[in-house]
Amino acid sequence: MIPIKYNIRSVVVRRMGTAMTVFGVALTVAVFVSILAMVRGLQSTYVDTGNPLNLILIRRGSQTETNSFFDRDVKKIVETMDGVEAAAGEIVVIINHPRVTGETSNVMIRGISENSMALRPGIQLVEGQMFKPGLREMVVSRSISERFKDTGLGESIRIGRSDWKVVGIFDAARTAYDSEIWADYNEVAQEFERPIYSSILLRTSGEDATADLQKRIADDRRLKLDAVGEREYFEKQTSTGDAIKILAYFVAVIMAIGSCFAVMNTMYAATSRRTREIATLRVLGFRRWSILVSFVLESIVLGIVGGIVGCLLALPVHGISTGTTNFTSFSEVVFQFRITPELMAEGILFAAIMGGIGGLLPARLASRVPIVRALRSDG
Amino acid sequence: MKFVSFVLRNTFRNRRRTVLTVLSIGMSLFLICTLRTLLEALENPPATPESARRVLTRHATGLANNMPVAYKERILKVPGVEFAVSNQWFGGEYIDPANFFARFAVDADHFFDVYPDYQVESPEQRETFLKNRTASLAGKRLAKRFDWKVGQTITLKGDIFPVDVETRIAGFLEGGNSDDSFYFHWDYLNELIPKEMADRPGTFVIRAGSSDDVPAIVDSVDSMFQNSAAPTKTETEGAFILGFVSMMGNVRFLITSISTVVLFTVVLVAANTMAMSIRERTGEIAILKTLGFTPGLILTMTIVESALIAVTGGLLGALAGRYLYRGLDMGAVTQGFVPFLDVRWETVGFAGAVSLAVAVISTFFPALNVSRMPIAVALRRRAQ
Repeated sequence: MIPIKYNIRSVVVRRMGTAMTVFGVALTVAVFVSILAMVRGLQSTYVDTGNPLNLILIRRGSQTETNSFFDRDVKKIVETMDGVEAAAGEIVVIINHPRVTGETSNVMIRGISENSMALRPGIQLVEGQMFKPGLREMVVSRSISERFKDTGLGESIRIGRSDWKVVGIFDAARTAYDSEIWADYNEVAQEFERPIYSSILLRTSGEDATADLQKRIADDRRLKLDAVGEREYFEKQTSTGDAIKILAYFVAVIMAIGSCFAVMNTMYAATSRRTREIATLRVLGFRRWSILVSFVLESIVLGIVGGIVGCLLALPVHGISTGTTNFTSFSEVVFQFRITPELMAEGILFAAIMGGIGGLLPARLASRVPIVRALRSDG
Repeated sequence: MKFVSFVLRNTFRNRRRTVLTVLSIGMSLFLICTLRTLLEALENPPATPESARRVLTRHATGLANNMPVAYKERILKVPGVEFAVSNQWFGGEYIDPANFFARFAVDADHFFDVYPDYQVESPEQRETFLKNRTASLAGKRLAKRFDWKVGQTITLKGDIFPVDVETRIAGFLEGGNSDDSFYFHWDYLNELIPKEMADRPGTFVIRAGSSDDVPAIVDSVDSMFQNSAAPTKTETEGAFILGFVSMMGNVRFLITSISTVVLFTVVLVAANTMAMSIRERTGEIAILKTLGFTPGLILTMTIVESALIAVTGGLLGALAGRYLYRGLDMGAVTQGFVPFLDVRWETVGFAGAVSLAVAVISTFFPALNVSRMPIAVALRRRAQ
């Protein structure tokens, strides 16, 4: 085996050409990691939402709370079912509201009842106070408050025919609820003249009870409801990120092919410049395959360095807050770019593969250098 | 001109390197053209003179809120309004949730008055649609995607509405924005749905007498309903569609940032290649100078060589995109998210211009350097 040190030194010797190729690979990885950081951030809001013992009841076939509505009497039936510990009837409406940047988007308003907060213990009021029942007051998630106009503490926005005052800011630990505005159920139902429930959130007494309840609710002809696990309900919405994910892979693959060609160019140049060196190595007794492996390794090293630089270039996007529309619920979802160690490892692996593939053909050429002619040449 | 063959020979003296560089630049420009076309497809709905005369009214609170159907009669009385139809986004799913396309319930009677830019295949198809309450019309591209035939029964499973809608295809549409949409009778939907949801369309599509009337119509409609239980928001069809794009987030920023980074990699690739070939030729260039070639001529020849490589790559990438996307059924590939991509000739030209600029930027400094290098230094460097 030719020691890897030989390759590393060779890479360092040709500074300029190496640097340009490494930087090319780095940019490819930076784009790949940044877009995937966006996808991961978006998806994690849905993956991390919900309590395993919570069930969401929505109108049969409606898929989301936004489309769902049913009679309020249903709650009385459900509440008394075996295995139900607590229930909260809620209403969801979507309003069209301008972002801080001017263009408008849809925001979800949830009218909650007294059990709602207790059923979602992860949600904390971080500023101000809770709304008072009977008043047109609301609490806004921090993400929404930063992203939308007039939604800061103490400000008020016009919804329907009333002015609603923001009295508190809550933090839902980067879950899907971080993209919502909450107010009193009765106030919201009145404002929109919709005396219905969009959903009922149930807390069950245990895992067995959950499965059993789901079956009983599905079978109950009076109810016409779907009972979905809260976690499942949100996990299904991770498809929101699919379009960006496809874009990420498409861009990454095309850029990677382009970078492979660039790596090939550099490696061909590297091997042709070192023809004599290679012949000498052969004379010293190194085998063909050993030369081949050595050059592929050199190219992989090039790729890995590029990958590391690329990850470093992408790092500043971590934590940037942005938003898109969840077309399932038809409302804005706010999320943060998320670069995890796994994602960085993926980026570096991706770069190593680019290096490996790009180095294969040049390395094969190097391993076939005719010894005598190469030694006689002046290269 | 007499140096053309000299430049050409130089370009191909390291054939492998030239080909690899062309391919690498080609890939990047293919990507840039794709992204640019994608952004165009999202941001610029086909603007026809007809679409400039169309105005959409919806509930001011948002699309999930509907308006009383009686608004239609009042809207029709607004000066400048020629026709108005109720329109309802149906949502739902066709066989599988992945089969996404736009499904609308519309007033059939004045559908073609509001959408004169939509063409039906034959007058018979048009009659069938108008006369049958359960008839539907499908965009041609959409019909091709699912291999639909006239007379076929299509069932849409409701989610916004708790009903399944069964319609029979009366004919196929093309023109305007119709190619990927599906239309059926609003009256039919209105009958199927529970009575608490009935008689409340989501939007009204208005046809103005002329595009000059549009601003006045927008104002009159919105002020007419300002203090009612369902205040409205009225805007042109174009503005309405752009609103959807902005809902997706800052797509323009995302796409332009990616394109900028890709462009930067092209510059790197081109610069690296030219630096390699110039370095190899340092001695030769010294000899050319000894023969009396001026630095300016050497600089020009080198830049022309690099431009040749870059522009070939750029045009190849752009043309590959143009013919690839024409050959592919984009609706099926992207499940309806991007119904079609058309890399326009302008975009191909843009790719060529970008490549030319890249070539000049990436070659100028290394070439300038070597063209100015004193002969003795250059010859000595060759010997090393």
